[in-house]
Amino acid sequence: MGEYVWFHDVSWHATYAIYFFVIGILAGLSFLSYGSWRTPALRPLREKAAYGSFGLLIIGGLLLIADLSQPMRFLNILNPAYLHFTSPLAWGAVNIVAFGISSVLYILALQKGDEAKGKLLALVTALLALGLPVYTGYDLTVHQSRPLWNTPIMPVLFVALAIASGSAVGSLIAGANAEAQKVLREYMLWSAGAVAVILVSIMGTTNYGGAASELTFMIMTTGTMGLLFIGVGFLAGSVAPAVMLYAPIGKSQGVLMISALLILIGSAALRYVILMGPQQLQTLY
Amino acid sequence: MSEELRVSPIETRGLAGKRRFAMVVDTRRCIGCMACQVACKAEYDTPLGVNRTWVPYKVAGKYPNVKKHFLPRLCNHCDDPPCVRNCPVEATFKVEDGGFVLQRYERCIGCRSCMAACPYNARFMLPSHRTYTPITNVVDKCTFCFHRVTQNLVPACVQTCIGRARVFGDINDPNSEVSYLVANNPTQVLRPEEGTKPHVFYIGADRNHTEFGRDAYRKIEVMELERAAFKNHFKI
Repeated sequence: MGEYVWFHDVSWHATYAIYFFVIGILAGLSFLSYGSWRTPALRPLREKAAYGSFGLLIIGGLLLIADLSQPMRFLNILNPAYLHFTSPLAWGAVNIVAFGISSVLYILALQKGDEAKGKLLALVTALLALGLPVYTGYDLTVHQSRPLWNTPIMPVLFVALAIASGSAVGSLIAGANAEAQKVLREYMLWSAGAVAVILVSIMGTTNYGGAASELTFMIMTTGTMGLLFIGVGFLAGSVAPAVMLYAPIGKSQGVLMISALLILIGSAALRYVILMGPQQLQTLY
Repeated sequence: MSEELRVSPIETRGLAGKRRFAMVVDTRRCIGCMACQVACKAEYDTPLGVNRTWVPYKVAGKYPNVKKHFLPRLCNHCDDPPCVRNCPVEATFKVEDGGFVLQRYERCIGCRSCMAACPYNARFMLPSHRTYTPITNVVDKCTFCFHRVTQNLVPACVQTCIGRARVFGDINDPNSEVSYLVANNPTQVLRPEEGTKPHVFYIGADRNHTEFGRDAYRKIEVMELERAAFKNHFKI
């Protein structure tokens, strides 16, 4: 080939993908905790989802801080004098802090058994939780020069992934509760289906988006990356659970559990490939 | 719509009373001696494995009729830089008088958001160990030798270029050499479709150089092996 390749490092490493995964689950659990106030069948999940969500916030926050090459300077991002609101990360920092405060207040209201405050705080927490997958998607979307990332549907995909993975964890927590599983089956079915449809549209437009996009499509659909993206993320993690849950066998406890596990594995793989795949090309320019 | 309305408020090119520094790289004059890269390394104690400026090349043609094409690269000091918009703590900022895009090391949190935003891969993370300089673990990049330019010197790479392939100056000044070169030569910029309005202009750049390398077609497993060997060699 006779050309000298200059290797650049990728900007964001796999820790960021794990953070995306964790924050998706915590958002999904927050939706479920709020959902329990509107759908009585989800009532057994209320406290578990709230605690789980807060626990994952701590794990996610630590991952995010550890990924900085100057971890202790995470305080800079909380300094109002430094905050730069054209950056999605600044919005993310504000969103995470607000979510954390809201979560604590919600948990306190739950412990006190304050129904009125609990319902209101559940709503506020769920709305702030919605902001988490939205900002992580927005974080990628703004990079105009990066194929695949630069699509406005990315936050929508992250919200769908959050509902799918949150419902999957909810389903694993709900265990043998048939009423809750009936609702969670619907959530998982529609969100896994939505993820599959969005992936088809994103990959379709990527393949037709010009040289860089086409090369990104090739990177993401061949080799190990292709196995993770098409095999684990799309087929096993989105299409298969949607088909299984739609079929009559989807009502059985075993199939629900298998579907939930597949959704979790698939959504982890998708986050990894969506983060790392487009950056492979970036290293070669 | 008038021209004024279409210009981003951050842009300084053509702004009356403001200087706007730019670099012209005449690729017809570049011989690939890498003196610019060495001068830059010497000026900034840039560690192994990372570079503020670098000179990739491609070999065109078929043996025995082959030719080497060089495309010196550096931060483009864009007029509308995505890295500035993307930095959450304003560690990356643009100097209004001169148009330099600079970095505040003491404020950088190392989130690498600017690295992801840069279409030119001009930014890099400084490794944790350096020989003479205590600044580590923050993002760095070419500064157009801000410290030299403010003392009426040209950047180190321009100073050392033996073929005068690199020319530096104020493009807002109609009498400057860069203004003359840009006005009187067909020039190219890297990835103009990104809308960043780069201020490194190329004369005679081969279009194939400004696009993604064909190596992207190779197997990822092979690329990973080569990348690992490269990193291991430079201990990064």
